Amino acid sequence: MTAPPPTRAPVLESLPARTPGKAAPPRTSWWMRRQRTLAPYLFISPFYLLYGLFLLVPILVGLYLSCTEWAGLGTPKWVGLRNYQDLLADHSFWTAVGNTGLYVVFTMAVVMPAALLIAQALNARGLRGRDLFRLAYFMPVVISPIVITLVFGLFFDNEFGLLNAVGHAVFGFGGIDWLGSPGWARVTVVILVLWRWTGYLTIFFLAGLQNVPKELYEAADIDGAGPVSRFRNVTLPCLRPVTAFVAVTVLVSSVQIFEEPYLLTQGGPGESTLSVAQFIFRAGFQRQQLGYAAAAGVLLFVAVFALGQLAMRVLGVGRDDR
Amino acid sequence: MTTGAFDSTAKLGPRARRGRRRASRALLYTFLIALLLVFALPLLWALSSSFKARGDIFGYPPKLLPSPATLDNYRGLLDENPFWSWLLISTVVAVISTVAAVLLCALAGFAFAKYRFRGKNVLFNVMFSSLAVPFAVIVVPLFVMLAKAHLTTPYFALVVPWVAPAFGIFMMRQFAEQSIPDALLDAARVDGCTEFGLFRRVVLPLLRPALGALGVWSFLNSFNSLIWPLIVVSDPGDYTLPLGIQALFGATNRQYDLVLAGSVLAAIPSLLVFFLLRKQLLEGLTAGAVKS
Repeated sequence: MTAPPPTRAPVLESLPARTPGKAAPPRTSWWMRRQRTLAPYLFISPFYLLYGLFLLVPILVGLYLSCTEWAGLGTPKWVGLRNYQDLLADHSFWTAVGNTGLYVVFTMAVVMPAALLIAQALNARGLRGRDLFRLAYFMPVVISPIVITLVFGLFFDNEFGLLNAVGHAVFGFGGIDWLGSPGWARVTVVILVLWRWTGYLTIFFLAGLQNVPKELYEAADIDGAGPVSRFRNVTLPCLRPVTAFVAVTVLVSSVQIFEEPYLLTQGGPGESTLSVAQFIFRAGFQRQQLGYAAAAGVLLFVAVFALGQLAMRVLGVGRDDR
Repeated sequence: MTTGAFDSTAKLGPRARRGRRRASRALLYTFLIALLLVFALPLLWALSSSFKARGDIFGYPPKLLPSPATLDNYRGLLDENPFWSWLLISTVVAVISTVAAVLLCALAGFAFAKYRFRGKNVLFNVMFSSLAVPFAVIVVPLFVMLAKAHLTTPYFALVVPWVAPAFGIFMMRQFAEQSIPDALLDAARVDGCTEFGLFRRVVLPLLRPALGALGVWSFLNSFNSLIWPLIVVSDPGDYTLPLGIQALFGATNRQYDLVLAGSVLAAIPSLLVFFLLRKQLLEGLTAGAVKS
């Protein structure tokens, strides 16, 4: 059974009466001395309680389920590693892996550099309306994904969509079946990812850029460095910590991409935009193959963990030396 | 106007240099404004379309502005659907999650920032690496567990598993490290403050900007979430706002007119919260990134 977590740590609240005058230590009860060493543990315990109940236990349950065949009713049937064997032979699974790989590469290779470029533009000296631009670019993340993808669905509609209409009027061609043909559907999902996340990443890069000491740029100017060399020799090295942070976050979250393809194309047409996370969702909640879904989850976990470790190692993030 | 036109970059008169700077300025603003339109266009288009008559939404060629403008879509949405109930449930769930998340993350973040205790590094790394556990990995077993325990009610399943996000703890730790002087803590201790009293009276007020940032982040996450509610909530009477809109969009009967009106209304609370607390949110989000 799960009890709701305490919202406040149960620590004494009453203050002991202060003894005026002498600086002699106030009455230090056992509790007053103890609580100082116990406090940090009490303060972090709600997190670890929830962590255990809603993260650790599910992972263990998932590991168990991944070795069973189960449709949600009755008792799970133990099948050993068969789910994993089936997965590795499942064409749909590999399609999902391929698509997810495409999304990851795209966010790393296009969305991140685009965000850096925009941040660089926003960081221009004496720019007016910087906050307005920053806000407007950030806004796509604020709005519910259901709203965004519905609007995008209308926007990219083959027959009625604004995009095809404009394309027709301006360039004389149109009728791209954005959502209905496998290649274009992938492009559409990728455009949605770009639209939704670029502004979000921009604010991180902008914050990083604003932290670059101005003297470094002045020194570079005196040395006669052009904009390209300034960017390469001053900006990029100073941005290393931010870039590392963003890269790890982006990597870990884009491996799990789900909402964009699921809401925009339901993974279709066929399975052309299906992601691994959606593969798991489909197996678990639409096809009642809970064991199979759990096995795919375990593989995704291993992949994300390995990629995350690799990225942290390469970029040197997340080390805490205190 | 004669100087500089054919010169190389080396010897530009002051006027030419100013002209060149002005040109690059213009280019910069063109780029930024074009980008702004790209980001805003889908939303403005949805806003405009939500006032169009049903036939005009799919009219060809598409109209940019609704003519005639009508409120029929909004009327239809509010009359035929329990919109206010969706909004209420979403709001209550989001507010409870937010208050709890802010308090729990502040407590844990404070502990990680300002105490020395055994196992701190290990515990911190355990916490931090939980960020890398994909939602898709735990979603099936978590749902099974909650279903077995009959806890798939909105106020439990949509709130409790998510009230202590590791990201929030990390963010709070970054803030607490910078903004809480150790001397102040020691002074309060000398005055006989208990550790929790310290948290309540000294730390919470000092963390206020960070609490705002985490609050917005947490509210938006909860208010906008779709996938988990989609899995957990099965009774239409318990639908949250995104679920309600998703239902309007049902597989057979796509009520685009109502969906557009619903989308516009659903975006309002998010945008409101975001605009009221934008500064804190943006600064809070980036604090961790720049300083790590």
